[in-house]
Amino acid sequence: MALRIIPILLTLVMTAGSFTHASASDVKYKRSIESYTMPDVTLINQDGKKVRFRDMMASNRLIAVDFIFGTCTTICPVLSAGYANLQQRLGPDLNKVHLVSISIDPENDTPKVMKEYLKRYRAKPGWDFLTGSRNDIDAVMKAFDAYIPNKMAHYPLTLIRSSQNGSWVRLFGLLSSSEFLAECRKAGL
Amino acid sequence: MLILPLIFCLTTSAASKATTVEPGLPDKALHFGEKMYREGLLPSGEAMQAYVNGDTPAPGTSFTCISCHLRSGLGSIEGGINTPPTTGKYLFEKPEPINLTKYRHFDPSRPVYTDASFAAMLRGGVDPAGRVLNYVMPRYHLHDDDMAILIRYLKRLSSTFSPGVTEQELHLATVITEPGNAEAEFYYRALQTLIAQKNNMVKSFGKEPRKTRMAEAMLMSREAAFKRIVVKKWVLTGPPDTWRAQLEQHYRKEPVFALIGGFSAGSWQPVHQFSEEHQIPCLLPVTDFPVISDNDWYTLYFSKGLFQEGAAAARYLLRETDGHDRGAVIQIVDDTVSAKALRDGFNSVWDNGGATAARTILLTPGTSLQVIFQQNKGATFVCWTGNHALAKLSEALLAGYGLRHIASYGYLGSTIYSLPPKARSSLFITYPYRLPHQEKNYDAYVNSVSSVLHPSTPQQVRLLKQAYAVYQVLSQALIDLKGSYYRDALLDVIGMNMAPGMGMGLVLDTTFPLYERFSFGPGQRYASKGCYIVQLTDEKNPGLINRSDWVIH
Repeated sequence: MALRIIPILLTLVMTAGSFTHASASDVKYKRSIESYTMPDVTLINQDGKKVRFRDMMASNRLIAVDFIFGTCTTICPVLSAGYANLQQRLGPDLNKVHLVSISIDPENDTPKVMKEYLKRYRAKPGWDFLTGSRNDIDAVMKAFDAYIPNKMAHYPLTLIRSSQNGSWVRLFGLLSSSEFLAECRKAGL
Repeated sequence: MLILPLIFCLTTSAASKATTVEPGLPDKALHFGEKMYREGLLPSGEAMQAYVNGDTPAPGTSFTCISCHLRSGLGSIEGGINTPPTTGKYLFEKPEPINLTKYRHFDPSRPVYTDASFAAMLRGGVDPAGRVLNYVMPRYHLHDDDMAILIRYLKRLSSTFSPGVTEQELHLATVITEPGNAEAEFYYRALQTLIAQKNNMVKSFGKEPRKTRMAEAMLMSREAAFKRIVVKKWVLTGPPDTWRAQLEQHYRKEPVFALIGGFSAGSWQPVHQFSEEHQIPCLLPVTDFPVISDNDWYTLYFSKGLFQEGAAAARYLLRETDGHDRGAVIQIVDDTVSAKALRDGFNSVWDNGGATAARTILLTPGTSLQVIFQQNKGATFVCWTGNHALAKLSEALLAGYGLRHIASYGYLGSTIYSLPPKARSSLFITYPYRLPHQEKNYDAYVNSVSSVLHPSTPQQVRLLKQAYAVYQVLSQALIDLKGSYYRDALLDVIGMNMAPGMGMGLVLDTTFPLYERFSFGPGQRYASKGCYIVQLTDEKNPGLINRSDWVIH
């Protein structure tokens, strides 16, 4: 019996949280400045190419990171529409921003799944979707203080790395495309 | 005050690509409505135009209604967003509070929608009570004609329960394609034993008030606690091309709600097709030959079977030889469906892997395996050959002809343990289960059945665990269904909840027997995505050492 009780309580807590969050639409997102240490792991992008994550995160370009998965509903599409629209609004500045989506369902997110996902959002060059081994993905999530062991209980999070001083802006919640662009400008775009 | 988050339409999933017209869709307008609802496409073929999160435009194909409201229209909770139902009953009839689970209910607290107020809400994001919808619900720019088509579809969506459900009983069927097959019989008995244990619980809940209260509190669903499950056995005989007619006959006689489990030593394709066309869910049949599809909706499989092992072999080889001279890769395929499924899986990865083509040799009765080995010394041999060729494989391994050899556990089974120690160093085996020394910890999960059925072989233990998985997935889905007996809703709740660490009971990926990270997700149809590449240890009774992760990218 005990085996059944604990998960039920967990569900209760999670469900209660859902109601609270859905109703708190007056405060759309929470913003904080953070410093993160990147793990030295090798991930795989939508083309099946290996990517040294730490090197990618050390670029001079402005970087945005979010956590999604290929068959996700509800919030990933909103996050991804945000990425797609930012790319459109950037126009000639497209290559000044590197958008990175990290899979939280690496078992299912193969390069093929990720490539189709990006196509669905009309992604332009400069938006990478990364998968990898469960251990490496866990290490990346933990490095961003965003460990999501259960893909169905994730939350909307966007992180922007300043191209000026390398600090990270942590944005918890969903941003409109004007807000996203404004945050990128604040971070040095 | 809880602002009504009438989230309507977000992304597409693999499932949304299905374009079949529902049997029984009486006219073309409903078919168009379905395309709008599921795929975000207007009758003109163009994408519906959506605005999300205030000012972010998005094509309707990346934000479809089913992403949040799901195929059944009963809504969902995900990522901190609580999505209400969007069925006609909920929108256009007298709004009553709906209990979707014990802890998730909706009290619409608004006037009933008219067609006009619904259209205004969809375009402008304000409901008839004057409340602004949650910001993740897109606003849709639809013309009147298209709006009417969508409304008509919604009014019909999940309006009557699917067949196979009575006040006291839920009728299901298990399809067995091998009459007299000992494994099939054992598996069916395992499933029946688990269902009988559940039904006995139902009996006892009804008798004692204390247990009744406990059942309601613990299971969060009167339905799951009090409805008896009746599992019919549908036995198919003769060749596979005659199965469809037999299935139709069974179904006419017993119109069941869903198929559960099932067993076939050969093809599952005719049953898969039957499920798809009648829109009957089929949960976790035991088969080596699942139908491989990105879009089909109604059958949920344990894995992609032998195809998945073949694919894992190719991924492993590509990764291990990345940046090195690969040498020749020779795939040896005997004339069986098993070998061909392995080959198809291998080719599905290898052909897109950017490597030089692998040579495939189809073994015919006249071909000598030994000659192939001798003529291609130093190659990597991918051996999709059965037990009849094990002695020849062993000789080749001992003679050291190949650089490395790959074989399939799913095809060869435990006879592979009989290979002599000296033959093991260049042999790599695809192994689609959790490693045996770790799997031991999961044997206790099936104690309640093994104490009745006394499994005597590893294969029987595996069948018990598969029956257990079917039972667990079904139980959890019935709890989540909360009495909404729509077939699409059954698949919706499995997609939304069968995720690692999610929810209640024992449906956690880390507590599932046989497979690592056993989990579905929205639109996902194969629960286990992994397969180890292993080698045999040197001991007389060898163990397995994994040479790869569970999932190889």
